[in-house]
Amino acid sequence: MRIRLFVTLLVLILALSYWAQAQEKYPDRPITVVAPFPPGGVADLTARPVAAAMEKVLRNPVVVVNKTGAAGAVGMSYVANSKPDGYTLLLSLSSISIIPEADKLFNRKPAYTMDQLVPVALISADPTIFVVNAQHPWKSVKEFVEDAKKRPEQISFSSSGVYGTLHMATEMLMHASGIKLKHVPYGGAGPALTAILGGHVDTLASGPAVVIPHIKAGKLRPLAGWGAKRVASLPDVPTFKELGYDIEFYIWAGVFAPRGTPQPLLKKLRDTLRQAVNEPDFKAAMDKLQTPVAYLDAPEFQKFWDKDAKMLADAIRRIGKLEIKEVK
Amino acid sequence: MLETLQNLYLGFSVALSPVVLFYAFVGCVIGTLVGVLPGVGPLAGISLLLPATFGMDATTALVMLAGIYYGAMYGGSTTSILMRIPGEAASVMTCIDGYEMTKRGRAGAALAIAAVGSYLAGTLSVVVLMFLAPPLANFALRFGPPEYFALLLLGLLVLAYMSTGSMPKSLAMAAFGLLLGMIGIDPMTGFFRFHYGLVELGDGIGVVPVAVGLFGISEILLTAGQPTPPKVIKPRLRELLPFREEWRASFGPIGRGTLLGFLIGIIPGSAHIISSFVSYAVEKRLSKHPEQFGHGAVEGVAGPESANNSATSGAFVPMLALGVPSGPIPAVMLAAMMIHGINPGPLVIKEQPALFWGFIASMYVGNVVLLILNLPMVGLFVNLLRIPYPLLYPAILIFAVLGVYAVNGSVVDVWIMAVMGVLGYLLRKFDFETAPIVLGLVLAPMLEMSFRQSLRMSDGSYAIFVSRPIALIMLMVGLALLLLSLRPVFTKAMDWRRSLGIEGKTSLGEEKKI
Repeated sequence: MRIRLFVTLLVLILALSYWAQAQEKYPDRPITVVAPFPPGGVADLTARPVAAAMEKVLRNPVVVVNKTGAAGAVGMSYVANSKPDGYTLLLSLSSISIIPEADKLFNRKPAYTMDQLVPVALISADPTIFVVNAQHPWKSVKEFVEDAKKRPEQISFSSSGVYGTLHMATEMLMHASGIKLKHVPYGGAGPALTAILGGHVDTLASGPAVVIPHIKAGKLRPLAGWGAKRVASLPDVPTFKELGYDIEFYIWAGVFAPRGTPQPLLKKLRDTLRQAVNEPDFKAAMDKLQTPVAYLDAPEFQKFWDKDAKMLADAIRRIGKLEIKEVK
Repeated sequence: MLETLQNLYLGFSVALSPVVLFYAFVGCVIGTLVGVLPGVGPLAGISLLLPATFGMDATTALVMLAGIYYGAMYGGSTTSILMRIPGEAASVMTCIDGYEMTKRGRAGAALAIAAVGSYLAGTLSVVVLMFLAPPLANFALRFGPPEYFALLLLGLLVLAYMSTGSMPKSLAMAAFGLLLGMIGIDPMTGFFRFHYGLVELGDGIGVVPVAVGLFGISEILLTAGQPTPPKVIKPRLRELLPFREEWRASFGPIGRGTLLGFLIGIIPGSAHIISSFVSYAVEKRLSKHPEQFGHGAVEGVAGPESANNSATSGAFVPMLALGVPSGPIPAVMLAAMMIHGINPGPLVIKEQPALFWGFIASMYVGNVVLLILNLPMVGLFVNLLRIPYPLLYPAILIFAVLGVYAVNGSVVDVWIMAVMGVLGYLLRKFDFETAPIVLGLVLAPMLEMSFRQSLRMSDGSYAIFVSRPIALIMLMVGLALLLLSLRPVFTKAMDWRRSLGIEGKTSLGEEKKI
């Protein structure tokens, strides 16, 4: 009898102390950062240095896991539905706001909703650059828009896929300037680049790191950027804002946690990431990727995310469902 | 020429430095393993090992990843030949004649020819890569959606030569494969098709689970259904090496496979998988005894195995010369370059000569390493067949499940494999061939995408397919092939029933007795 009581007490004490420890001693086992895109993509390439830097700060293993599928929806909904214990995080790109909105448009049961996730920190935000094949005569946005107005749906652009980030950027330009371009979607940013290099499409919006080598080689000509400021490595290329178009677009990467993660853990994660982005190794890794760090802490990131998500939602609604047009 | 030799000297000095050599070796070993394991292909292998290269320098990282890629093409043939399980998707065609050779006790010969063919193809294609990368890459860029569509259509016509049995049955299977390829997100509008609420089906059905199911699992089921257990094939040592006539029959296919694979490999978006299908069809068409295909023709192993190897070198052309990916695997390798601060682009060859030439030289070295690795392994692998079936088959099943699961970490893929296994079993009971399903599944998404992109480019006018010279030429070749394949229908009018498979049954039955 006494033994049984003793055992019960012991178990209780252990359980209590474990519970307390779970909060205090976080983290005491490896943290998983889910990258919802395949290895070698922007999300993956950002997640790895982030994880390595977090590992240093926390002195605890941080593992990157690629959970891919359905344009990122598989990995995102996996984290959105994970236990909010601080051990499963998500490193996602702006498409996190596109998927639920597209699901809404098609009356699909959403894979996840945005309020299932809370932002922890923004890591990077790269403005897209508008490039044209160098064989075309346009030297400025003005010339381009004038020409495009004369012949709607004649000049084409490639994208990483319908409703993909690169499609969104060009959609915003079309809306702001009142032009209509012909959309030829490709399966990914790589094929979209190949298409413009081969002259099969005329224009493309893509990240600076991707297009700069081809600009240097004289194959592509940059006309403008979507950022609030000019891109450091392209100082002569104006922004759309300077040119009077009120559009901004970034391919960004940020860290998210499932909603319901206890505040103390979130605080710890935010502190960790703040230190992590200042690690010299992390900075060097991002330099090599030619992706500038654009760190924002959770409250500012939330504001940034809300604004970005609204912009994307508007763009998706403007595009609407693509109906199959009958050929005349 | 002199400059190339000097550059090559530079390249070899890089490739033969101990560290690079070591990682080339590691890459080749891992590649062979990745190829041998059913399900896990080079893409999964390279993706999983990308993080391991972060600590290396750019050349070492690229050399190792490339080693995995072409190493997998060597290893992929092993399980295809021995157990009729495609080690990776490009080895589907090798299953057909390779496994038939095994049944006739020629497993060793098939493995040896696959290894030598891979070696010759790998080495010869690097020579072409070395001399012609920049001009070829610019030619490859001219392949837009209309050209690509014409090429894929050509690939589909290959079916006419692929079937060993009845044509209508093959066409039905190809159509089924094409329909399977329709599952997933509509690439032009974003609508989901036939996904039945499964998010995993959004990306469509993967080639790997289908190929492993249709070929491997169905084979296991068929064997289990036999009244008497199959005899354990005990290979004799002196039968390990190919006979002289087998060598002689192989050299033509190896040469043609190399050329074909390389050309298909350089076209962006194209894959080593298609090259093996096309090579098989070409060999069957050119063969003096096409009826042996499907019953252990050595050409059916030599051609496709050379083609898929040479296609890997082809895929490096746009990657190295222009910095654009020609498929998912080069895309991961481009990422590896970016991680090391090298911005992939048209200037890499000029700005990073040590990287480019070191890479080229390492491929010469790597192919020698793989040949040395793989030839002695033939004896070892063949002895796997000595394992009695009650032990061997459950083990294969476990590896197949593990491999298919590992590719995406998706249980849905394992289920797809299981369903395809049962389907493959039923189809083979009814004498349907399963290879056309895989071909259809591989081609369908690309065919649809390029067709609709072309029409988007031309605002719905079909003239785009005949107004662009490359597309037009390919369509003409396709038409010529089609007419050629129809010729027997006209010239041997009396024999038409045979091509419909009504009488095919009896002839198949006879061959089985032999």
